Amino acid sequence: MFEEPGLKGKSVVITGGSRGIGREMVIRFAEEGCDVTFLYLQDERAAAEVLERVRERGGRAYALRTDVRDREACEDAIAAVVDRCARLDVLVNSSGIIRDNLLAAFSDEDVREVIDTNVVGVFNAIRAAVPHMMAQRSGKIINITSVAAAKGGRGQTNYAASKGAIESLTRSLAAELASKNITVNAVAPGVIETDMSRALLSAAGDEVKGKILLRRFGRPEDVAPAVLFLASCFGDYITGEVLHVDGGFKME
Amino acid sequence: MDIQTAHPVVSKVICEALGRDIEALALSARLIDDLGAESIDYLDILFRLERAFGVKIPRGQIARDARGELSEAEFSRDGVITDAGLARLRAHLSEVPADGIRPGLKMADIPTLFNVETFCKLVVKAHASRQAGPAGA
Repeated sequence: MFEEPGLKGKSVVITGGSRGIGREMVIRFAEEGCDVTFLYLQDERAAAEVLERVRERGGRAYALRTDVRDREACEDAIAAVVDRCARLDVLVNSSGIIRDNLLAAFSDEDVREVIDTNVVGVFNAIRAAVPHMMAQRSGKIINITSVAAAKGGRGQTNYAASKGAIESLTRSLAAELASKNITVNAVAPGVIETDMSRALLSAAGDEVKGKILLRRFGRPEDVAPAVLFLASCFGDYITGEVLHVDGGFKME
Repeated sequence: MDIQTAHPVVSKVICEALGRDIEALALSARLIDDLGAESIDYLDILFRLERAFGVKIPRGQIARDARGELSEAEFSRDGVITDAGLARLRAHLSEVPADGIRPGLKMADIPTLFNVETFCKLVVKAHASRQAGPAGA
């Protein structure tokens, strides 16, 4: 009934793939028959668990321990993928951290670390991937941003600023790379139940849920399909967009 | 390696980057005005040349080479190339006809001067740097 999504055999790199939304995307892309490589910072056990889960489902995935804040490390990781697969079709930037606090209480590290990982890290991965995608005259870049970018929220000015930066990057880069048949989009999840959001949900869960039209928190399984859609042939005519997957999250 | 040996591969790379049928491009063919290249294509071409020749071409190398020993302030003023800058460009871009480098030339117009031979020279220089190895080695 439905057209094939055209993902089988595609070479996909996902940063931040050992946990949360990134982990779910690794599993789902592998289930679609993609050759998936995910980058993770340091949690070897979590990375191994993801690989095992993919194997159980008959998929294929590889894990590369890579700090996205290190541009050369990103180049080495992407080069390794291209060496093995002879191409790079999809880059998903899902690596991100939070350091929540009121702005007046931030340390310098609270600001710098979030920008380094969430912004510079994305630039590093994209800069490593773009030459290969340009040579192919095809590619898809999908950046995971956040409802925080557009809608704000107390205690997350650093995180919101970082995700807003990536949404702006998405639009500008889409314009730069269109002539090379490379699409650039973002998926902005709402409040998703992951390790990263546990503290927030514990502290203000009911208040936050009241702002969500669908009256529930999201799950990684709610977000991954949106990313697969953009990566598939169904997303071929979409670029420069931010797709909100947030259950209708409204700031009062 | 010299310009003649680099030319066939450089020609092929440029054709691939610009989505043209593979053909031998004239050394004098200007990438923007004659071949329809855009600024993003320059980056694509540099990446492809690096892979094809196994060299590194640092980003900004073309601009630095064009300026030579001149400071930015000596090379241009308010976006217009100075007389000293023009003299430097005529010497550095010897493959560009002299009437293409004339008073009033803007910084933004420099990429329009580049032709196939410009990129051949870039590759020859990068190849020579790779052969020479790191300084002091």
